[in-house]
Amino acid sequence: MNTSFNDWFRSGAPWVWLTGGAVAINVIMVAGLLILIAWRGLGHFWPADILQAHYQVPNSEAVRVIGEVADTERVPAEQLRQAGVPVPEGTETMARHLLKVGNRDVTGLDFQWALKDNLEEVQYPERLFAAERREWGNFYGYLRGLKQDGEEVARFDPATDDDADYEQLWNDFLQRVERALSIHEQIKTIEKGDIGAINYELERLRLKERRHELDGDLTPQVQADIQSQRDELNRRYEGLQGELTELYRAFNRDHYLAEVANGREMEIAVSHVVRAYRPNAMGMVDKAGHYLSKLWEFLSDEPREANTEGGVFPAIFGTVMMVLLMSIMVTPFGVIAAVYLREYARQGPLTRLIRIAVNNLAGVPSIVYGVFGLGFFIYFLGGTIDPLFFPEALPSPTFGTPGLMWASLTLALLTVPVVIVATEEGLARIPRAVREGSLALGATKAETLWKVVLPMASPAMMTGVILAVARAAGEVAPLMLVGVVKLAPSLPLDTNYPYIHLDQKFMHLGFHIYDVGFQSPNVEAARPLVYATALLLVVVIALLNLTAVAIRNRLREKYKALEH
Amino acid sequence: MTTATADMTNATKTTATTAPRAHGVSLDALPQGRETLSLEREHIALEVRDLNLHYGEKQALHGINMDIPKNRVTAFIGPSGCGKSTLLRCFNRMNDLVDGCRVDGQILLEGSNIYDRSVEVADLRRRVGMVFQKPNPFPKSIYENVAYGLRIQGVKKKRLIDETVEWALRSAALWDEVKDRLHESALGMSGGQQQRLVIARTIAVKPEVLLLDEPASALDPISTLKIEELIHELKQNFTIVIVTHNMQQAARVSDYTAFMYMGDLIEFGDTDSLFTTPGKKQTEDYITGRYG
Repeated sequence: MNTSFNDWFRSGAPWVWLTGGAVAINVIMVAGLLILIAWRGLGHFWPADILQAHYQVPNSEAVRVIGEVADTERVPAEQLRQAGVPVPEGTETMARHLLKVGNRDVTGLDFQWALKDNLEEVQYPERLFAAERREWGNFYGYLRGLKQDGEEVARFDPATDDDADYEQLWNDFLQRVERALSIHEQIKTIEKGDIGAINYELERLRLKERRHELDGDLTPQVQADIQSQRDELNRRYEGLQGELTELYRAFNRDHYLAEVANGREMEIAVSHVVRAYRPNAMGMVDKAGHYLSKLWEFLSDEPREANTEGGVFPAIFGTVMMVLLMSIMVTPFGVIAAVYLREYARQGPLTRLIRIAVNNLAGVPSIVYGVFGLGFFIYFLGGTIDPLFFPEALPSPTFGTPGLMWASLTLALLTVPVVIVATEEGLARIPRAVREGSLALGATKAETLWKVVLPMASPAMMTGVILAVARAAGEVAPLMLVGVVKLAPSLPLDTNYPYIHLDQKFMHLGFHIYDVGFQSPNVEAARPLVYATALLLVVVIALLNLTAVAIRNRLREKYKALEH
Repeated sequence: MTTATADMTNATKTTATTAPRAHGVSLDALPQGRETLSLEREHIALEVRDLNLHYGEKQALHGINMDIPKNRVTAFIGPSGCGKSTLLRCFNRMNDLVDGCRVDGQILLEGSNIYDRSVEVADLRRRVGMVFQKPNPFPKSIYENVAYGLRIQGVKKKRLIDETVEWALRSAALWDEVKDRLHESALGMSGGQQQRLVIARTIAVKPEVLLLDEPASALDPISTLKIEELIHELKQNFTIVIVTHNMQQAARVSDYTAFMYMGDLIEFGDTDSLFTTPGKKQTEDYITGRYG
C-alpha cells in the first residue's frame, strides 16, 4: 500500500493532477464569471411576459397587480412571521417574486415584492402592453383610447368591443408612436447637430473677441466683423428655432389613454413613448426581433433616465478613444525610455535602481496615479497652459479641468512601466550577431538601432502595448479624478473644428458600471444594465487586445527571429 | 596600385615548384601549380605594428607585428582562444564594442592608423567589411539586405542600387539562385545561401578589405565548398583575411597563413612554406595535430 503510494508520488502523477487542477479552477472561474454576466446582462433585453393577478394578502382586500417578474427568491418563513406576514404553519420557506410594476408616475415605486402564494388568478392577457418611456420608466396597462390635439379620436370599450377593434386601436397607436419617433429624430438632429454647431461657433466667436480684447487690438473693424458673423449665426439660429417650435407642436400632438392596474385611466403623451409592445401576444420570432432591436439600442444609443435606460454608446466610444489615445502616448514614451536604458545607459547600479523603480511603479495603486494626475497634470500643467494659450476662456478653465487628454496621459503614466519592461526584454533578445552585421557595414549605432534593432523589437513593443491596453481599459479609479463623468453632453470626436476635443470630459464603461450599479436612483431597474455593461466592457477590452495581438503577430511574422 | 599589379604579374609568371608533402595535411588540398609567393614582393594593405590588446586585466594579444598583403587571402589559424578572431576584429575595430577592451599599437590601412582619434569608425568599417561565423542576414528581403549598406551611405538612386545589388549577388555567386525572389525574406534561405548573401551584402559597399571570421564553420560541406570557391574569386578585387579552425581549409584557400598561439603570432608566411616547412616547433606541432 505504502510502496504503491510512493510509486504513485514518484511517477509525477500528483503534479500533473495538481497543475491540471489549478488550470481547471482558473478556467472554471473565468468561464463562470463570463457566463454569469452574460446570462444576467443579455437576458435583460428579452421581452418578459406581463403578468396580471390579484394580490390577496390574508386579512386585507385583494388588489390587482400588473407587471413583469424580474426576480424570484425564497424567503425563510420565520423572517416573514417576524415581519407580521401570516404564514401557514409547517412551511420553511416561501417563494416571492420581485414584480416590475412600472408606472412610477402612478404608484411612485416601480418594483414590488409579492409572495407567490398570495398571487391569485394569475393570467397573461394578450391585450396588456408595455411602453418604454423617456421619463417615469416603463408603463404597463391596457390601451383604451387615443387623443389628437386634445380631441378623442379613438376609443375601445372592453365591454362591447372585440379583439379586432383592439388590434385596430393598437395599430393606430403604433403608427402614432412611429410618427412621434421620427419627429423626435428630426428634433434631435436640429438640436444636437445644427444648433449645437451654431452654439459652438458662437462660443468660438466670443473667445475670438475676448482674445482680441486681451491683445488690445479689438479694432472697430474686427468688432464689426465678429458682430456680422454673430448676427448671421443668430439669424440661422432663429430660423432653426422656428422650425423646432413647429416640430415640437407636431411632436406633442397625440396622447393615449390607458387603464392601469388600479383601474384608473391615464392620459399620457405619445411623444414620451420610445417603444411599445405586447409581449404576451408576441411569438418567438417577434420576441427575437424585439431582443435584437433592444440590444442594438443598448450598443448604439445614448443613455436615458439617469443612465438606467437606453444605451451606452458614448461610454463605449469614450472608452475606446481613451485607450487609443493612451496607446499613442504610452508607446513612444515607453519605447524611448527602454531604448535609453538598454542601449545607451551604462549598465551599473544606477540603471539597476531605475529598473527597480520602474518595475515598482507598475505596482502602485491606480488611485495614486489619479491623485497625481489631478494634482500635477490638471491643476499644475493645465493651470499653467490655460493662462498662456487659452486666456480668452478664463475664468472657465480649458485644460485646467479634468478631461480626455489628462485621463489618457494619466493612464499612459500608469502603464508606461509595462511598455518599458516589455520593450527592454525585446531589445535584449535581438541577437548580437545582427547588430554586429549592421555595424560591420558601416552603420552607426543610431542607424543600426533605427533600421534593424527597433523593427526587430517591434513585436515586443506591441506585447507591451497589449498589456498596457489590458490594464488601462479596465481602470476606473483614477479616471474618476481626471476626466470621466456620469453623462457627457457630447462625444469628444465630432464634426466641429478641431474635431478631437481633448479638453472635454467623457464617459467610460467602467465608470458607467459603477454609476449605474451604485449611484443610480433606481437600482432595481439598473441592475441588469450593470451586468450588460460589464459584459460589454469585457468584450471591448477583448477586442482591443485582439487587435493589438493581431498587429503583433503580423510584425512577428515579418521580423521573426533568426532560427538556426 | 600599379606596382601591385606589376608584382602580381611577376608572381603569376613564376612557376611553382612541387611542394613536398606536409605533415598532417593532405597536400592534395593545395592547388597545384601555385605561384611562389613572397611577402617582400607584395603590396601591403594592412600593417600591424606592436599591437597589444587587453580585456580588462587579461592580455589577449601580445605585440603583434604583421603585414597583410593586398589582393591575397591571408588565413589565421591556431587553437581555440589563441586570439585569431580577436586580431581579426581589430582590423575593423569591432572590439570597440566590447566593454573593457583596450588596444594599443597601430594598424595601418594603406598607411594611415585606423586607431587614430580622427578616424570615424563607421567610415573605417565601410572600407573593411566583415562576415561572421554564423550567417546574420537582417530580417528584410534579399534585395534590402544587399542594399542596406548603400542606403546607410545615403545612396538614393534606384538604378544604382539595382545595379549594385545585382553585381554583389553575382559576385557572391548567388544571383542565379535568388534573382526570381529578390523581394522575399532573406530568412527563408538555406544557411549556405544566407552566408553568401551576407558576403554579397558586405561587398556591395565595395570595401577594400574583407574579413571572414570562420565563414564556413556553421555550414555543410557543399556550402563550404561554394564559399571557398567564392573566396578564390573575390581575391581578384579584395584583400581577404580569413580566420579558420580548419587547417585544410586554410591550406586550400589562402596565399599566406599566420599561426597564432596564446595571443602571440608564432609564424607568418606563405601558405605552402608554412604547411610544408614550418619554421617553429609550435607550428609544426599544431599542423601535425599534436594539439589544437
